[in-house]
Amino acid sequence: MRQTTSHKLWLIAPAALMVGIFFLYPLCFSLYSAITLDGSLTLTHLDKAFDLYSKDILFTIIIVLISVAILAILSITIAALITLSPFRSLTKTLGFLYRLPLFIPFIVTAQMMRTFLAKNGLMNNAFVASGLLTPMDTVSFLGWSGIIITFVWKQLAFSTLLISGAMAALDESQIRAARNLGASRLRILLQIILPQIIPTLGVAIVLSIVTMMSVLSVPLMIGTGSPTMMTADMAFRINSYGDYHVANALGLVSYCICAGLAWFYLRQNLKEKGAN
Amino acid sequence: MFAKTNIAVIAAVGLTQFSSFAYAETTLNVASAGSQNMVDYVKTYLAPKFEATHPGVKVNVVGTGPGDAGSHKIMEKLSAQNDSGLAKWDIDVAVVHQKIGGELVKDGLLAKYRSDIDTGKMVSRDSAKNALGINVNGYVMPMFHSQTAIAYNSDFIKNPPKSYDELIKWTQQHPKSFGYNGIKNGMSGVSFVTGWIYAYGTDANKLSSMPYDKSVESSWKKAFAELKQFNKNITFTPGNAGTLDMLNRGEIFMGPVWVDMFYSWKEQGKIPPSLKLSLIAPGMPGQPMYYVTPTKAQHPKLAREFIELATSPEIQAEGIVKKFNWYPGIDANYVKAKLDRATWEKLFAEITPSDLSKYGKSFPIGPYFDDIKEGYERNVSN
Repeated sequence: MRQTTSHKLWLIAPAALMVGIFFLYPLCFSLYSAITLDGSLTLTHLDKAFDLYSKDILFTIIIVLISVAILAILSITIAALITLSPFRSLTKTLGFLYRLPLFIPFIVTAQMMRTFLAKNGLMNNAFVASGLLTPMDTVSFLGWSGIIITFVWKQLAFSTLLISGAMAALDESQIRAARNLGASRLRILLQIILPQIIPTLGVAIVLSIVTMMSVLSVPLMIGTGSPTMMTADMAFRINSYGDYHVANALGLVSYCICAGLAWFYLRQNLKEKGAN
Repeated sequence: MFAKTNIAVIAAVGLTQFSSFAYAETTLNVASAGSQNMVDYVKTYLAPKFEATHPGVKVNVVGTGPGDAGSHKIMEKLSAQNDSGLAKWDIDVAVVHQKIGGELVKDGLLAKYRSDIDTGKMVSRDSAKNALGINVNGYVMPMFHSQTAIAYNSDFIKNPPKSYDELIKWTQQHPKSFGYNGIKNGMSGVSFVTGWIYAYGTDANKLSSMPYDKSVESSWKKAFAELKQFNKNITFTPGNAGTLDMLNRGEIFMGPVWVDMFYSWKEQGKIPPSLKLSLIAPGMPGQPMYYVTPTKAQHPKLAREFIELATSPEIQAEGIVKKFNWYPGIDANYVKAKLDRATWEKLFAEITPSDLSKYGKSFPIGPYFDDIKEGYERNVSN
């Protein structure tokens, strides 16, 4: 019996090898490069990363947190509308619309937003043409606000898809029962639906954060000047100085941020499982 | 039985090889770094012209990628062939960036050929002798020069700034109307910052030549503090093209741009004719691309003839100036005779040849350049 198990282990060897060569090895290599210089341990790269980019690290965290907060509110609202609204044709249209960004790559989104959000871009021109604004009142959204708008717009499809899926999987008899007892739609959402989909919401948020932390095209194309996001700094460190050490040190910092969030999420998840 | 067949087959294969060798054309291998438009220029413009005058010669053009990274690939290949002791290397002509051009000479990978060709005497700019502090005299021929300058909207600005001092005053009177792309979003911004250091830190002559002295950096504190102050009055743009985009949409009225990109956009109607250029004192940096030929090129004679053709006044006029709006690699006076008045005046209308010789600087040598960029990150953006 034991032998067959170890026999079966061989079956996953090719896959494990792939993961090892193309994921674990480069990961360990960059972590190693972030904390060593000529083979001996050192903190100079991390020091330099914080010395030059502390503002950018903070900026990245704030941008991602704001984006994710707006994202959570919007995707819960859309998913709730789809689940609870009595107007079927309306929810069908909404269901089609929110899926659109799912098929558009980040770099295309960034280019779209660049022409849409600029001071004399499509959005402001539309306002001016409709008489709502004068050309003097228009403001450019290129910068931190543009980055947030782009992130939210792009990730909305993904997180709404997860959340509305979780809402659809709930037992409908609970909602009907609550309705029979006279609960309003808002109350049903907040007290019956939301508590049950929190694990899915957590997955959507953590995955969105990791995605946003890793996007390079958006801060490069929409963000202007300083501060900028860490991915842009990493690219600059490599392209401009050929300095992989500090770039890897920045990678280590961003890895720690993601790992921190993942740990928080996993702990929450385990607690809930323990409570059940 | 089998042995006989084998011998017959080998003989047959050998014969076909031999006969095909006898009829084969000579192939001249040209490797070009730089963006796609440069590779296309060599492939679709230079190569057919060369093949037409050299029957039996085929030019094989390979692009190695944009930026210093593209030039670096050429260097890696040549030094690998050098290390393995090959008698003949498979690159005959290469087009490389200034920085790598210097390093290639330092490593002894290039042939000294400029005195062998007729156009060698037509070179007048300093960049043909000095590549960021390394003496490359005789080893390189500039293909073209690109330059950064300040673009401005002449509908609103009648007297554009002539120096960094005047520019600072102008931005104080017109907040947010000047835009540049910092140092992370493209070279025009880096060039503007380098010019700032030339103006308020250390002059260009010292920073563009050897030897490197780390202590120079410490005197730039004030320059960076002033730049931080200056940055509060301006708009940041998202990239080289982003600056031109914002100028076009009227969101900014002034900003540093690459001259060749500026004229090409103007020609395509992507920016209005009211935009003009001004090269401000004490100067902004630009850079050349070089034609070089390796020490052990397979066809050294053909390589020299190819470079001679590429740097002839006719080709420089027609291909470099007229087609791409680049500044010529050889002395502009030789090119002028081959150009119609309109094209000539278009290129030098706003930045005159004397402006160019006074204020067209080169980039600083590598270590100073890194010091400037890192100083900016530490003192201005963080």
